[in-house]
Amino acid sequence: MVPRQKIDYKSLGFACGLEVHQRLATSKKLFCGCDAGLSASPVVSGSIIRSQRAVAGELGKVDFAAKFEEEKKRIFRYNIFDYNTCLVELDEEPPHDLNREALQVALSISQALNLNIVDEIQPMRKEVVDGSNPSAFQRTIMLGSNGSVKLDGRSVPITMISLEEESAGIEERKAGETTYDTDRIGIPLVEIDTDPSIASPEEARDVALRIGTLLRLTGRVQRGIGTIRQDVNVSIKSGARVEIKGVQELDVIDRLVENEVLRQVALIEIRDRLLARKAEVGRTINVTSHFKDTGVRILRNHLDNGSVVLAFALKGFKGLVGTEIGPNRRLGSEISDYAKGAGVNGIIHSDENLSVYGFTEREIEELKKILGVAENDAFVMIAGGLDNAWKASELATDRAKYAMVGVPAETRAVLNANDGTTRFMRPLPGGSRMYPETDLKPVRITSEMISLAKRNAPDIDRERSILEKQAGQRNAEELILSPRLSLYRFLVNTLEGNGELVANILLQKFTELKRSGFEVDSIPESKLLEMFKKYSSGEITKQAIEEVLKALTAGLGVEEAIRKNKLERIKGENLSKLVDSERKSYKSKDELIRAIMSKYRLNIDGGELNSMLATKHG
Amino acid sequence: MYSKRINDFLKSAGIGIGDIVRIVSKEHTYEGELMPRSEAGDDNVVVIKLPNGYNVGISFEGARMEKIGSGERVHSFPKLELKRGGSLPRVSLLYTGGTIGSKLDYKTGGVYMLLKPEELFYEVPEISSIADVEPINLMSIASEDMSPAEWRVIANAAEKAFEDGARGVVITHGTDTMHYTSAALSFMLKDFRAPVVLTGAQRSSDRGSSDAFTNLIASTMMAAKSDIGEVGICMHNSPSDDLFSFIRGTRARKMHTSRRDAFRSINNSAIAYAKLDGRIEYKSEHKRAGRSDGAKAITGFETKVAIVKAYPGSAPDIIEYYKDKKYKGLIIEGTGLGHTPVSTTHRGMSWLPNIKDAVESGIVVGMTSQCLYGRVNPNVYRNLRMLSGAGVIYCEDMLPETAYVKLGWLLGNYKREEASTLLNRNLVGEIKERSMVDEFLV
Repeated sequence: MVPRQKIDYKSLGFACGLEVHQRLATSKKLFCGCDAGLSASPVVSGSIIRSQRAVAGELGKVDFAAKFEEEKKRIFRYNIFDYNTCLVELDEEPPHDLNREALQVALSISQALNLNIVDEIQPMRKEVVDGSNPSAFQRTIMLGSNGSVKLDGRSVPITMISLEEESAGIEERKAGETTYDTDRIGIPLVEIDTDPSIASPEEARDVALRIGTLLRLTGRVQRGIGTIRQDVNVSIKSGARVEIKGVQELDVIDRLVENEVLRQVALIEIRDRLLARKAEVGRTINVTSHFKDTGVRILRNHLDNGSVVLAFALKGFKGLVGTEIGPNRRLGSEISDYAKGAGVNGIIHSDENLSVYGFTEREIEELKKILGVAENDAFVMIAGGLDNAWKASELATDRAKYAMVGVPAETRAVLNANDGTTRFMRPLPGGSRMYPETDLKPVRITSEMISLAKRNAPDIDRERSILEKQAGQRNAEELILSPRLSLYRFLVNTLEGNGELVANILLQKFTELKRSGFEVDSIPESKLLEMFKKYSSGEITKQAIEEVLKALTAGLGVEEAIRKNKLERIKGENLSKLVDSERKSYKSKDELIRAIMSKYRLNIDGGELNSMLATKHG
Repeated sequence: MYSKRINDFLKSAGIGIGDIVRIVSKEHTYEGELMPRSEAGDDNVVVIKLPNGYNVGISFEGARMEKIGSGERVHSFPKLELKRGGSLPRVSLLYTGGTIGSKLDYKTGGVYMLLKPEELFYEVPEISSIADVEPINLMSIASEDMSPAEWRVIANAAEKAFEDGARGVVITHGTDTMHYTSAALSFMLKDFRAPVVLTGAQRSSDRGSSDAFTNLIASTMMAAKSDIGEVGICMHNSPSDDLFSFIRGTRARKMHTSRRDAFRSINNSAIAYAKLDGRIEYKSEHKRAGRSDGAKAITGFETKVAIVKAYPGSAPDIIEYYKDKKYKGLIIEGTGLGHTPVSTTHRGMSWLPNIKDAVESGIVVGMTSQCLYGRVNPNVYRNLRMLSGAGVIYCEDMLPETAYVKLGWLLGNYKREEASTLLNRNLVGEIKERSMVDEFLV
């Protein structure tokens, strides 16, 4: 692998673009009367099962990615929810008219991104056959094109914005059947695409953060895990376009992008070495009988269930299957991901330490003979049900052969957000999968809609100056970029003040507590509001807030948190009495203050104590 | 359709649908393929497909538009010729149109009727492993446009299919009036001992989630393998893609506008249920299939027959209208047990005199219930007795639509008196003597 610091993105021909998906906070879904807000404790009231198939696309061809999903021959089960599922989500009723509230929010966002709005919007169907929508397509509408977002004096082009319906969330995936929750389907979503001119991984992260800020400033987007997702497109000159799908945390984007570049560089190096070695992929051979008496446990389990073991040689691949192309990722992991598409658990390859699995030397030597494996060669084994195993070997050999071509164009999923690794999901879909939604009418965008959108468009500069007045300049800068901005606005608007304190708590205190392991972001906003109200009305002190927060992360109510931790503020009359009783033991005023504060730091407001002593001592 | 103004411009500029155009509007340039205009929407908007696949509408007002490339102008759908011959049972597939045979042309965005069954098979190649399917292209029309003339064509085609040695027949049909056609075929087709299976789709076959595929598979299976010697409808039994019901042709009714399981069996259990793995479970008595030895289509049909619905405030003038128009038969969809307004406060609103008049003039009048479920009864109330006394024939537990089709068929093939006698006698399972507890709302 290329060392990280040495990457010269420009000379690599780096290209990167983002697709930001954000759920809107509207009362109803985009095309039906179901609630757009998800229940905190959803109840599944039933389920249906469906099979889907790839149909001939726009050019009369079946889309390759769609066909790949179909070949997996999955049965899809859709869970039905009382409040969030009706016949529309289940594809049992045509869509209702477009939700105008969602359209108006999306138009405001379009204004903030300086997009050209089209005169009449045309609802489309985007084919999806991974089962994530019972209709086998996602309804999507392009609203505008050719905009930009400003970032440190540079202007990053926004190619388009679309308003679309959210897909279903995967609930469970087991062999042959995937279960989806339908409550999410149809929540309004905007997709914002940048052009591929993003120059570095850091810039990708910053653009995502900036767009995220604008979205939050509308005050009309959903908050919480999964409500904003990015698809990150990355390619380098001799590599291929790869789409990393569904990235939920903005701050890992730079690492994901950097790792993808390194992965492509490594795959190109492997390609060059394979070509130099005149590598080739051997024919798949059924080696089940060879292992009929094996003691290798993972094979034994398969064989006892009537499964088969297949193997093929990778001539000239030795050492390269196990070459690292990312943290804990090898060419072997890539081949394995493809095989898994056919429902097997993965592959075993000869660059691994095979004795760990319990293979005997003789087993390996004989297998090599069967496969014709020589000194410079590697091999792969696949175990599974007859049909699955053969399908898996077809997918795996195809992938292995592609190692001699270069980087395959793929859609990838985040495997581990912390180390920034991804895995293969499916081949990158072609452009031939969009067609008109004939169940919906086009909608004319009127000048009234545009002027309303302009009035409601989020404006970063305007917002910053409001925040500066409320919370101070430093906090304002940080709040603008913070995912907690909408929470801040909610709290400050409801409390009608306390901007600086709320900002300090949400920014510094939250970060501090999070580092020490307190899940502060999971505290419901209603509890936070109650806590700040208690502070405003003088029932707790500023110092007690941290302790209350800690208790709230354990699921306690605010009253309970205060009572259990004895955090009630001592003030007025009570404070006066306390001062009188302590007074005689101390000579000086400073000594007295120090003593009282060390005992009652969390219960007494220092200011009140000072002014009280000032009066009492006269 | 574009407005005349846009059409004139397109003509003069030599631009056709599918051509690549450049439109400059409000200093913004769009390039893409010119799309046809759907009926809905603004008259002064031009629709183009952008390279990213999205369609957008651009106002023609003040815009400049020029052609920058030529595009394909014809739509075509991929086809699949099925493997023929072999040892599988022979099934004739009569193609008539409908949602199952309509498909969106991805290129132009228009919905077209597939013109050939081969275009439908492209999506379901597996039916050739169930049966030796012989596609017969009868017509390509929508369900709502069907009429007795088409029923006759379909019945004759089924007769011919059996004569040619088919083991079973599958008929693809639009769903809205499929139960009328299934009733018509039930009466028209005689002397056959094989399954005649009507099927369709509630979702067009251009979408991956279409019910067309599994409905076709299940229906082909029924036609090739079941031992049912009757006409029926085979479609989804629930919103899931796993169980398919075969409902007697005279008992089926479309009971939902959009669900996949819209067809229900009324006043009778479904005859059988099928699973995609080939299992068929029989649920109720049916005529058995036997060695196929042809069929006979008796296709006479009196078209001067109508359905009339009675409801609060309904005026009896409608009966008079049909009498004046020389109708030969009327099926009343009465309320409850088979009522029309009779003892109304406003005398002119009673249907009784007009009904009496109609019967006396020779019109056969049958009574069914808009309840759909249950049996009409001429005796329970005085008003009912008056209607029955006037010569109205109470049609037992027969569906109104079935009674309409039956009366038209009877009057087309029998003398009036005979037709009148046969109307409430069971011929092909449309009436039965016993109503069972478990036949309601299933």
